[in-house]
Amino acid sequence: MAAYLINIAQHRLRHLKQEIRFKLNAWTISALILGLILFLPMAEVLWHLTSPAENWEHLRDTVLGRYLKGSVILVLGTAVLSVLLGVSTAWLVACCEFPGRKFFEWALILPLAIPTYIAAYAYFDLLDQLTPLLIWVRLNISPEAMTLLSDTMVYPVTIVVLAAVLYPYVYLVARAAFARQSSQCIEAARTLGHGPQSTFWRVALPLARPAIVGGVALVIMETLNDYGAVEHFNVPTFTTGIFRTWLSMGDLQGALRLAACLMALILFLLVLEKWLRFGARFHKSSQADRPFQRYALGQAKAGLAILCCLLPLVIGFVLPLSRLAYWASFNAGKVLDASFLKLTLNSVGVATAAGLATVVLALFLAYTARYFGSRTVGATNRLAILGYAVPGAVIAMGILLIAGQVTRTTGWVLTGSLAALVLAYVIRFLAVAWQPIDSGMERNCAQLNNAARSLGANAARSLFQINVPLLRNALVPAGLFVFVDTMKELPLTLILSPFDFETLSTRTFDLAKQAQIPESSVPALCIILVSLLPVIWLNRQMRTPEK
Amino acid sequence: MKLLSIQNISKQYTANDAPAVNGVSFECERGEIVALIGGSGSGKTTLLRIIAGLETPDTGEVVLDEKPLNSPSVFVPPEKRDCGLVFQDYALFPNKTVQQNITFGKGAADDPKQVKRLIELAGIGGLEQRFPHEISGGQQQRVALVRALATRPTLLLLDEPLSHLDPELRDSVRTELLKLFRETDTTVLFVSHDIEDAMAMADRMVVMREGAAEQIGTPGEVYDRPVSQHVARLFGKTNFIPAGLLPNAPHSIPSENGTGRVIPVRPHQWRVSDRSPAFSGTVQSVTNRGSHREVTLATEHLALTIHLTEQIVINTGDALTVSCALPD
Repeated sequence: MAAYLINIAQHRLRHLKQEIRFKLNAWTISALILGLILFLPMAEVLWHLTSPAENWEHLRDTVLGRYLKGSVILVLGTAVLSVLLGVSTAWLVACCEFPGRKFFEWALILPLAIPTYIAAYAYFDLLDQLTPLLIWVRLNISPEAMTLLSDTMVYPVTIVVLAAVLYPYVYLVARAAFARQSSQCIEAARTLGHGPQSTFWRVALPLARPAIVGGVALVIMETLNDYGAVEHFNVPTFTTGIFRTWLSMGDLQGALRLAACLMALILFLLVLEKWLRFGARFHKSSQADRPFQRYALGQAKAGLAILCCLLPLVIGFVLPLSRLAYWASFNAGKVLDASFLKLTLNSVGVATAAGLATVVLALFLAYTARYFGSRTVGATNRLAILGYAVPGAVIAMGILLIAGQVTRTTGWVLTGSLAALVLAYVIRFLAVAWQPIDSGMERNCAQLNNAARSLGANAARSLFQINVPLLRNALVPAGLFVFVDTMKELPLTLILSPFDFETLSTRTFDLAKQAQIPESSVPALCIILVSLLPVIWLNRQMRTPEK
Repeated sequence: MKLLSIQNISKQYTANDAPAVNGVSFECERGEIVALIGGSGSGKTTLLRIIAGLETPDTGEVVLDEKPLNSPSVFVPPEKRDCGLVFQDYALFPNKTVQQNITFGKGAADDPKQVKRLIELAGIGGLEQRFPHEISGGQQQRVALVRALATRPTLLLLDEPLSHLDPELRDSVRTELLKLFRETDTTVLFVSHDIEDAMAMADRMVVMREGAAEQIGTPGEVYDRPVSQHVARLFGKTNFIPAGLLPNAPHSIPSENGTGRVIPVRPHQWRVSDRSPAFSGTVQSVTNRGSHREVTLATEHLALTIHLTEQIVINTGDALTVSCALPD
């Protein structure tokens, strides 16, 4: 065992020496520095896990337990409900034949266009519906029972709202897993005499597990990232805790410690995900969609299947969208004025800047690691893209810390600047662009880069003549995804927006917070309409099977 | 001075696994065609990639035309090496036409006459404005070859140049390639798993096994005087006769199971004859292979594989006596 580890250490050391001696150049050095800069805000927050904070003991003893409990309940509930909704609909759509299947195949992704906080505003009165029940409890049991019930009720309500718009993450990966990866095994199971139920439990589900874990991880990250919905329903979570400790109590150090705890929780989840996804590589199959004999459902079962697919679609998309549209039809005139145009332009402006900057950076980082075969750049890239898992509020705090240090050492004021805001978006969404660009490069350009090099082309020539033209189909959607994610983003924008700089998402939040939910529906609707773009693109991707 | 000199090259991809290349040394003369031959996992492709600069060796030196390319303190990146590399899957740029592919290389566009001559030599004239996906596999291979040659490399490296071709095409392509190499006076190092390619094209071959160079020599030497049972088997089924039974054999090799030496005798080197030393036994099976019949003969201690070209009647169960005709 010791010899085994020593071998690995020696091997790594030899590689590192070779990289330092032979692979340091302007490209790799810039990529290393950029990667570390992008990781720095996250590292800075994590660093505060142990730094002294005067009120920490007080916070730890009073509220930390509540925040932890709230976040854990919310995460578990949303994850379980998302799996139930996502996996069941994916199985029906991928493996069963019933009227409307083709429609549901793409329609079930639509809830992805609704950000969690907007879903919460669309259902703002859901809790109020329970008031008669609470009054009954108070009158017939006791006031304490009523308080307990009202404290408990917020969880299922929030969980339903979150899961209704987050389940498509699970649906998408599970459907792809059922249709592509395991279709052969499903056919084999059928020829071996297994019925649909036993095929699902014994073959399809175990094979799809690694993919489903990946989808659930995204659901969990989004749940932990949410601020608007939990704030609205008054659920005690880490994000609400960070905002409250910092903005209401003015305790920055305490908020930082909370953010650091959240960061630690997320690192733990990332490790857990990696461990649970063990075996993913065994199931990869390059098989494109083949004709696949779906289970034909009888009338009763087909009816049930339609209901099963209709439920999440209605709760997650049709109902919120129609309520927002209804309110907007009354309030559009009141809200649509010059200031609204300005904040729309603000939104589009920062989102465009973030989209372009992120794509350029992701392209540069992925290309440098691949072209020079540098494992060190590969490693710093992995650190830089961690932002996808880190809540916006945490990244924003990290940026503030760094900006403070920059001001102290150089005198430049970054806090409250658009540059800091765009940098934060880049960190938060780098993975969104890096992932498709890097895998596109691996698929299409790896050997061609080698060919270009052996023909004497330098790195810049390979990049612009070979990689960029061949990656067009990845670069455009990558930029679009970042653009839309930036438009939707709330907590990070709330913290880092320059003074007097409003966006569609912050206006939605502010109006909702001032109990003007019907008015907030207008900017909310704008965000949803823009968010539909990548959903439509995803849908098109699904139809053209990958080659 | 040799054109290419490889000294003690080693490369290990993952710790605790066997090295992919393990202390290989050999040299190439100017104008020579050398084959790197071996099974999958023998390290031949890794060695080729190291010479091209696409991998960094852990130890060892590569010197091309008196310029060090790899040494403990030197690493010349692939784009600065004077090597052309033809990839197994050709790696043509799909977004560029044939002409653009060919003139992509450094200096390739400087001499349009030379490019035109190469295009004609390779027989791909008229395809210049097509895209790679619009031409056949064989044509793609020639474009890849011309693209590499157009930079006038000191050394041309080819990775499995014939593996994608039909058996009928292979023979004519081999001849064409040889002609092209001779006419352009190119030094070539190519990787192949197919012994026939190596026999037909190479001036010398390096037989690789488990990352090491097992034997280096001309095709004739390797065929007639293999250094091991493994090398002998590269050429197909081979009988290994204990040296004591063939006392006058010109060449013997150590037995794999460590018990003395054995003589490699190829199936076609048997004749139906009782000239001493002869081997008698019972025919176990007869399989018609078209040009010959493959006979398995069980003698007292051995099971012999014999390729019989004589037109005699023979059936399973018959008694047969053979002797071998080895070259001197």
